[in-house]
Amino acid sequence: MTAVSEAATSSAMRTREATVRRFAVTDMVFRTATRLSAMLVLVLLGGVAISLVAGSWEALSKFGFSFLTTESWNPVTENFGALAPIYGTIVTSAIAILIAVPIGIGIAVFLTELCPRPLRRPIGIAVELLAGIPSIIYGIWGLFVFAPFLQTTVQPFIIWLFKGIPGLDSLFAGPPYGIGLLTSSLILAIMVLPFITSITKDVFDTVPAVLKESAYGIGCTTWEVTRRVTIPYTRVGIMGGVMLGLGRALGETMAVTFVIGNAHRISASLFAPGTTISATIANEFTEADGNLYTSSLVSLGLILFIITFIILALARYMLLRIDSRTGA
Amino acid sequence: MKPMLSTDLNAADTTVEKAKIEVKNLNFYYGQSKALKDINLSLPERSVTAFIGPSGCGKSTLLRVLNRIYELYPKQSAEGQVLLDGKNILDRSQDLNLLRTKIGMVFQKPTPFPMSIYENIAFGVRLYEKISKAEMDGRVEQALKRAALWNEVKDKLNASGLSLSGGQQQRLCIARTVAVKPEVILLDEPASALDPLSTAKIEELIDELQADYTIVIVTHNMQQAARVSRQTAFMYLGELVEFDRTEKIFTSPREKRTQDYITGRFG
Repeated sequence: MTAVSEAATSSAMRTREATVRRFAVTDMVFRTATRLSAMLVLVLLGGVAISLVAGSWEALSKFGFSFLTTESWNPVTENFGALAPIYGTIVTSAIAILIAVPIGIGIAVFLTELCPRPLRRPIGIAVELLAGIPSIIYGIWGLFVFAPFLQTTVQPFIIWLFKGIPGLDSLFAGPPYGIGLLTSSLILAIMVLPFITSITKDVFDTVPAVLKESAYGIGCTTWEVTRRVTIPYTRVGIMGGVMLGLGRALGETMAVTFVIGNAHRISASLFAPGTTISATIANEFTEADGNLYTSSLVSLGLILFIITFIILALARYMLLRIDSRTGA
Repeated sequence: MKPMLSTDLNAADTTVEKAKIEVKNLNFYYGQSKALKDINLSLPERSVTAFIGPSGCGKSTLLRVLNRIYELYPKQSAEGQVLLDGKNILDRSQDLNLLRTKIGMVFQKPTPFPMSIYENIAFGVRLYEKISKAEMDGRVEQALKRAALWNEVKDKLNASGLSLSGGQQQRLCIARTVAVKPEVILLDEPASALDPLSTAKIEELIDELQADYTIVIVTHNMQQAARVSRQTAFMYLGELVEFDRTEKIFTSPREKRTQDYITGRFG
């Protein structure tokens, strides 16, 4: 009898060992697969960086550091400088963020704190749909509808309003073209708004109800709760949303190409046409005939890559400092 | 169905002292479901009242009606009357922010605001009073002393409120509530997330605070109710079963359900 049961046990053991061995194999496959996926990201990133550097080598070795500080962009004399597109990229993105952040936070506060429940979903969905509109549509809308509107109504009014005020009059100097830096900034603001709004709304939802209740419990108004509790509690997440929006604004190509005017110069006026890095590349790639021309365009790409990288790094650094200061 | 408890019985014990809060025929709804059924009770001034009962009996709900914090959520509604010094706070014309400065609340889990220890207290004060830096320093110190926290934090007032231990955070929340000089303090299971030592400190604090404030505490812990409160309300399934002096509830309750609960036969 014992022999029988021993045999039974050992055969049970054997199947169990087999199962465990099979598990070990699947587990190994699974681990390797996830590791490879993670590696793939690094490889792609490295590959992009290397090919950008290689492609831009010719232009960078010819112009050197002055590539960054030269405004002129002359395909005929083959004299290229990136200052105007860099300026345009940074200015349009910065203005877009300045406009979109307060509005985005405002929408998020309204949706999480004040909005009547039946309206919450429709507004939330509308904001998210805004993110789903292809950028080419923003581009044609900007060129055919928005820019003429700005040209005929808004811009003449602003020019008239700030006439004679030092500083502002040169920032908003005519003639009103409709297209230009400010128009691109406004379009970019509309485009990044859904990112900032939906991330801010999501992080606002993570604030513990009891924390808000205790702020309301000492007599705070909604504004005070938002300003002193909700926003400080969620600033890391909000910053993340802003950075995502900024990344989108810096790299946005199609819509900007339509409305910025594509002029390689730096003007004090925000109404003047300008260009951005991505708009320049998109516009001129097909007509870049010389090697140096192509290489200069790739150099612009490399610069955009670096700017985006620096901004993300700065954001990380800021968040680290905020965290260590509050000890959270 | 008429609740078994009549208000007259109740009044006999409490009319001796001035009632700070009177709850009259209060019903409360979460959407369609009725969470409080015809509650009547009166809370005497400057004393501690405990609400006890099994989970879901409505004791926290009742507490949340008293400062109308439930109104943050749609679909929650109260009908009946809650009189604070004779004035109905459920009235639409009642200003909510003002009400909540009069009736402070401390929650189950410590909820320090994401700012420094000093600011946690100064913040609430600054909302309704314009006072100088020196006066504010005094108010913060006084509030922290009141909450028996001063000695532990006086050297690190600029540190984040979140850097304190759980027990300290809860005392910070009490200090914050006291600093705005409320008349009533609502405590929603203030010690349930704390260790025994911190709990003892909080209970001591409650005992001291009743000299100046009307205190209402919701607790799961019957010993705690017996230790800190002057009168106790036992609630069950949204009804107020019995409300009486604490000794009476714990030694010779009138109702069988109260007896069963305090002797641990259910709940």
